[in-house]
Amino acid sequence: MADALLRVEDLHAGYEGQNVLKNISFEVPDGSLVTLLGPNGHGKTTMLRCISGLIKPTQGRIEFDGKRIDGMEAERIVARGVVMIPQGDMLFPEMSVYDNLRMGAYLKKANAAFERNVEEIYTLLPRLKERTSQLARTLSGGERRMLAIGRGLLAGGRILMLDEPSLGLAPIVIDQIYDIIRDLKSQGRTLLLVEENASRIIDLAEQIHLIDTGNIVWSGGGEELQSNPQVLETYLGG
Amino acid sequence: MKRRDYIIFAVLLGLAIAYPWINPPRYLLASVLLMFCYATVVSQWNLVFGLAGIFSLGQVAIFASGSYITAILGRYLEWSLWYTFPVAGVGGVFFSLLIGLACLRLRGIYVALLTLAVSQMMFILIQTDAMCSALNKKVNPATCVSFTGGAQGLGDFGSFGWRDVFGGRNWIIGDYYTMLVLLVIALIFTFIVTNSRIGLAFMALRDNEELARSRGISQFKYQLLVFAMSAFLTAVAGSFYAAHFGSVGTDLMGFALLLFLISMLVVGGIGRPWGPLLGAFLLMAADEVFKEASDWRNVGLGIVVLIFMVFLPEGLAGALDKLWNRGIQLVTGRLQSGGTRADGE
Amino acid sequence: MDFFVQIIVSGLTFGSMYALAAVGLALVWGAFNMLNMSHGIIMTLGAYFALLWAELLGWPLILAAPFSLVCGGLVGAIVYFLSAHWMIKQKNFEVTIIIATFGLGMAIESGLLKFLREMFRTAPYSQPLSLGAKSFLIFDVPVSYQRLVIWTAAFVLITIVGIFLRRTSVGRAIRATAQDRNAARLMGVPVRRVYVLVLAIASGLAAVSGIMLSSFKDVHPLMGGDPMLKAFIVIVLAGLGNITGALYAALLVGLVEASVKVLLADKYGFTAILILVILALIWKPSGIFGRATVARQ
Repeated sequence: MADALLRVEDLHAGYEGQNVLKNISFEVPDGSLVTLLGPNGHGKTTMLRCISGLIKPTQGRIEFDGKRIDGMEAERIVARGVVMIPQGDMLFPEMSVYDNLRMGAYLKKANAAFERNVEEIYTLLPRLKERTSQLARTLSGGERRMLAIGRGLLAGGRILMLDEPSLGLAPIVIDQIYDIIRDLKSQGRTLLLVEENASRIIDLAEQIHLIDTGNIVWSGGGEELQSNPQVLETYLGG
Repeated sequence: MKRRDYIIFAVLLGLAIAYPWINPPRYLLASVLLMFCYATVVSQWNLVFGLAGIFSLGQVAIFASGSYITAILGRYLEWSLWYTFPVAGVGGVFFSLLIGLACLRLRGIYVALLTLAVSQMMFILIQTDAMCSALNKKVNPATCVSFTGGAQGLGDFGSFGWRDVFGGRNWIIGDYYTMLVLLVIALIFTFIVTNSRIGLAFMALRDNEELARSRGISQFKYQLLVFAMSAFLTAVAGSFYAAHFGSVGTDLMGFALLLFLISMLVVGGIGRPWGPLLGAFLLMAADEVFKEASDWRNVGLGIVVLIFMVFLPEGLAGALDKLWNRGIQLVTGRLQSGGTRADGE
Repeated sequence: MDFFVQIIVSGLTFGSMYALAAVGLALVWGAFNMLNMSHGIIMTLGAYFALLWAELLGWPLILAAPFSLVCGGLVGAIVYFLSAHWMIKQKNFEVTIIIATFGLGMAIESGLLKFLREMFRTAPYSQPLSLGAKSFLIFDVPVSYQRLVIWTAAFVLITIVGIFLRRTSVGRAIRATAQDRNAARLMGVPVRRVYVLVLAIASGLAAVSGIMLSSFKDVHPLMGGDPMLKAFIVIVLAGLGNITGALYAALLVGLVEASVKVLLADKYGFTAILILVILALIWKPSGIFGRATVARQ
């Protein structure tokens, strides 16, 4: 796996001196979809916040495209091409949908391609086109998630990290969101997905890492996981 | 409070009591007694800010209100100043209740701005008070002085009266011990409040606000209580200040005094039990040492405040505490490991 | 009728000056929860920069205000790098930055006093940009051209700031930072540069506001303290961080102050607006224009 786009090695991280993540190592090869699977509160979100630079790891290294990015400021990591779609969307509530999308393309290169890319986003997420001038805080939960995804896509990153894209949504909307993720995968994008629910990603992910109390306890492909009910039961309660 | 603190307290008290007997120069005695006064104010401020978490910038206004109450009662009603002190204290409490009821329900940062505005309001109202007061015609018919004295300030209202007791030169020793008593009372009061139910309530609020609230601990109620209680001694310190100097003026509400007191709080360490004393001592000492450069005083104070907020927001007491604890850890760590390991790691 | 016009004219003038000072304060608070206590001395410096340009250097009067604006902005950036830059990660940043900038402001003010005492004089200078008492009549009330200039300048500057915030990419980044700092970082916004920029803009506006104030009351080293407190009252009244609200609140405070000054006496102006604000806050604790749930995490 020499061509790993993102490589995490022996990572420790946490808040206020307590390590939430212990000794995490994994890789995301170019063009693949990797999932961090596990129950809530076990450090998956911390992992993504670490990679995107919102918090600093206490130990270990993160490499992107062969260069170390751990310890860098979040704004510089994005510029390298690591884009996160955060949990809870983190939209700009007092800005219009359009302005939120413009913010997604804040970086110079992305900004130059904005006019063209936004049309692509509108075809992928037609609901956003209907709501361009609406304030983000007035959107429904599903629309918010779509806006967050659209905003993340416009940054033109080389890897897209999605933190629990199904969180807090109605089942139908979750299906829509996963259809979008499937589309993204088929476009050949590199994705790192954090998910709580194994059934959503089992047929989608090339590589699944099970995280439990801050450790990777199992790694393998989707089919392997399916044929391994013992793992499922132990760590995800069936 | 640990045993260490009691010992420090006893030693310092002994030194303070003994100090006048080594015959220090008068100006030094005057500085030290002024330090007692400031330390009293800052210790009460520390209760308000450090314990109760009220970011009040109005302590100077409460201090000034005590001064003015004493001055006015002494001048116009010709009260002995000793009767004015409790009145000033109660007046300060009422004043602080008024401010507190208006501000304390608001967010912390609003409290800072509004309490600062209150002292500015007091400043403007007194500074521009120029109406000749009929009461002053009685005191001195030839002049036109307004009720509050306006921009010129107010004098001629008496003193502690130690001149009659100790004689012409030694009255300052009387003032010295009076201020010392005030400071000791303030420190004991601070200690009692910190270790009372109120102190515990704030501890609970700080640790887990949700839980504390669900147990019926109302932040507003306790904050108002601390704010009002600490106002008593703050105002009394103000009236002692007036009694010592024999005059009051609008500089009591000015930014310069606020800066001086805030630097004591900050240098000492906000929320640290020994912070106010340490801060008051260091800044009065610095004032004495750099007397030659008094033109640069406020520049220096401003920079000191800035530097402390940037690098040492816990103040010197906080830093010393950390050092002390690390020292203890080092010592006990060595004892536990049999003193064989060379380093602490 | 005369009273009424007088109040409007004077209130709008106060309001314009407070608005310039308060919009900047609101912008800075919005971007990174900083209340800048050296705002007042920057207003004072603004007046002196104009004086320096026009009197000492004798350069064209018309450019004195832009010069002061730029210098004020520079001072704002310096204030940032002397204080907030090192403190932004402190747990109690909101509180410690107030104390720190109060100290810094006092240091600058005292330094300025000392400098003027040694080199020139501390007594007030008259503002060279003042147009004096030349006036025209509105309903028999004389209105000086000076006021007309102040209204126009304040209106133009605030409009420019508004357009900048709404229409430009940097302006959007500022608004984004105010609404969700971490989200903005995830978009690649260099938030620290946003902080400097915002403080510079606010300080530039404050400097211009200082020129305006001094055109009525002369240039004096201590002139900034009182209007700064009023600007703080304005943003508290509006709800901290609400920029449009600050604009309206500034006009409201200006009108109230003018009414009290015209109908009662000059010295009760501050008291009146303070009481007004306290009553308003008892009624609406997050400011009269503050939304109850401003989504900022």
